[in-house]
Amino acid sequence: MENTDTTIVETHSLTKRYGSGVLAVDSVDMSVRRGEVYGFLGPNGAGKTTTLRMLVGLIRPTSGTATVAGHAPGSPAGLARIGALIESPGFYPYLSGRENLKVVADMASVSLQRVDEVLDMVELTSRAGRKFGTYSTGMKQRIGVAGALLKDPDLLILDEPSNGLDPQGMAEMRKLIKDIAHGGRTVLLSSHLLGEVEQICDRVGVISGGRLVTQSTVQELLGEKGIVVRAQPSDRAGEVLTRMFGPKAVVRENGFFHLKTDPGQSVEINRQLMASGIGVSELRPYERSLEEVFFQLTGEKQGS
Amino acid sequence: MIATIKAEWRKNRYRPAFLVSSGIVAGITVLLYGVSWYQALNPGTARQPMSLLTLYPDQIVNNVMGAGFPLGAAIAIVLGALIAGSEYTWGTMKTSLTQGPGRLTTWFGRVVAFEAWMGILTVILFVVGAASSVVVASFQGHVITAPALVDIAKGLGTIWLVFAVNGAIGLALGTVIRSSAAALGVGLIYVLAVEVIAVRFIDSISNGAYKWISDLLVNQNATALTQSFTSAAFGPSSAPTISAQQAVLVLFAYFGGLVIVAAALIRQRDVT
Repeated sequence: MENTDTTIVETHSLTKRYGSGVLAVDSVDMSVRRGEVYGFLGPNGAGKTTTLRMLVGLIRPTSGTATVAGHAPGSPAGLARIGALIESPGFYPYLSGRENLKVVADMASVSLQRVDEVLDMVELTSRAGRKFGTYSTGMKQRIGVAGALLKDPDLLILDEPSNGLDPQGMAEMRKLIKDIAHGGRTVLLSSHLLGEVEQICDRVGVISGGRLVTQSTVQELLGEKGIVVRAQPSDRAGEVLTRMFGPKAVVRENGFFHLKTDPGQSVEINRQLMASGIGVSELRPYERSLEEVFFQLTGEKQGS
Repeated sequence: MIATIKAEWRKNRYRPAFLVSSGIVAGITVLLYGVSWYQALNPGTARQPMSLLTLYPDQIVNNVMGAGFPLGAAIAIVLGALIAGSEYTWGTMKTSLTQGPGRLTTWFGRVVAFEAWMGILTVILFVVGAASSVVVASFQGHVITAPALVDIAKGLGTIWLVFAVNGAIGLALGTVIRSSAAALGVGLIYVLAVEVIAVRFIDSISNGAYKWISDLLVNQNATALTQSFTSAAFGPSSAPTISAQQAVLVLFAYFGGLVIVAAALIRQRDVT
């Protein structure tokens, strides 16, 4: 168990089985550290939203426990320190963006002065007087984030904030999240967009079929960087490379050599192989993409 | 709970449904006075003769009861269903419940703000009724006399209670069904048809042996309470089988029961 001083979200065997028998979340052990941006990654229907709903007390777990911001999920003391945007932003369509935020501020016992501050943060001040029902998807998402920021929370939970946004809207949302995370605030971001998670998050948890299949830093997940070499004659190339890096660092696969070494060694590798009379047809740095890791972990097929 | 009431008040004060309902209640009252005035001046146009005396300011309490029930009650059901059901369809329930006041506090704050609106509708009904009666009295050259304050207070209380309990039916249905359209449909069908048919059926069994059951139905009591206001100007009236005191108790019991059942659902149910 991690120290609660350093973790802001911690779950133990968190499980949700619906009345219909569907096991939506299965024994999830998750921990989010203070001050990090945690990516909660998984395909659609993997159990991300159900887990987040349990963390804010909208759904009761069937079994297991969770501590969020030092309190049980849904407790008023815990919710006072959490800002959440779960699934789509829920606001009154006949009220303006500003009035909607004032309603939320009243509910959360937050000063109305804060409304203008968060509108400024999400860059919606000039359009805050328009009715929420007339907003574009991007503006709705921004108001949703503004609503989540009203309490100046320690923990911000954002569930698929880029849903329905065009590429520019996604880029703006990524920038907004990075800005929000600045200054030590913890962000728990659920997404099925691998690029988004890779660019924003410090650590990720991958959920598939309701189970948390891994949880680590992005770097750990991607594994070590290396170099891929293709050279002829390959037996002699193998001897040279093994002499250079040792047998454990050289993996031969499908006519390629995968070298577990710093990509900065490329020039030296090329020089040594050439000096040994070996022809190099391919030499490039190698790094697994999050996409590859994701498909490997979730058992989903790429391009399906 | 003050924070929740403030939030509910803020969101309801610009709500088109409330503004339109206020207009409809005012319109119904004006229409009631207008039609009655026409019928009183043209005796052949009504099934029963209408006396101008019933339209003067001293009779406003008796007169507005007709506008308050069942039409006003139906509007209250619609409003209740819209308020509670739309929280689910707009996703605002999850927004409310993640702010911190707690599920029951949120619910009771919502009920308090809603019932305050029922109070405003009641006042609109009386004010428009009073204004209409003053217009009739002025045109007819009749002296303008206000009813006794105690009668006004009883009248306001009665209409508020009828609106409150019917509004609670809408709120409870909106909460149970988690949709405003279906909830208001069910609510209106109940108040305008189901209870009427049920009362006829129950009262017909064994020469009315089970009438005590129909006497416990919500709008039988609302009818009895509004009809408890009698006046010589309206002619002779038959004594209601349900006393005003019993009607008040039964209506409060329904109000409390509906609010508590909905509270229990909100407390227990997952918000998906």
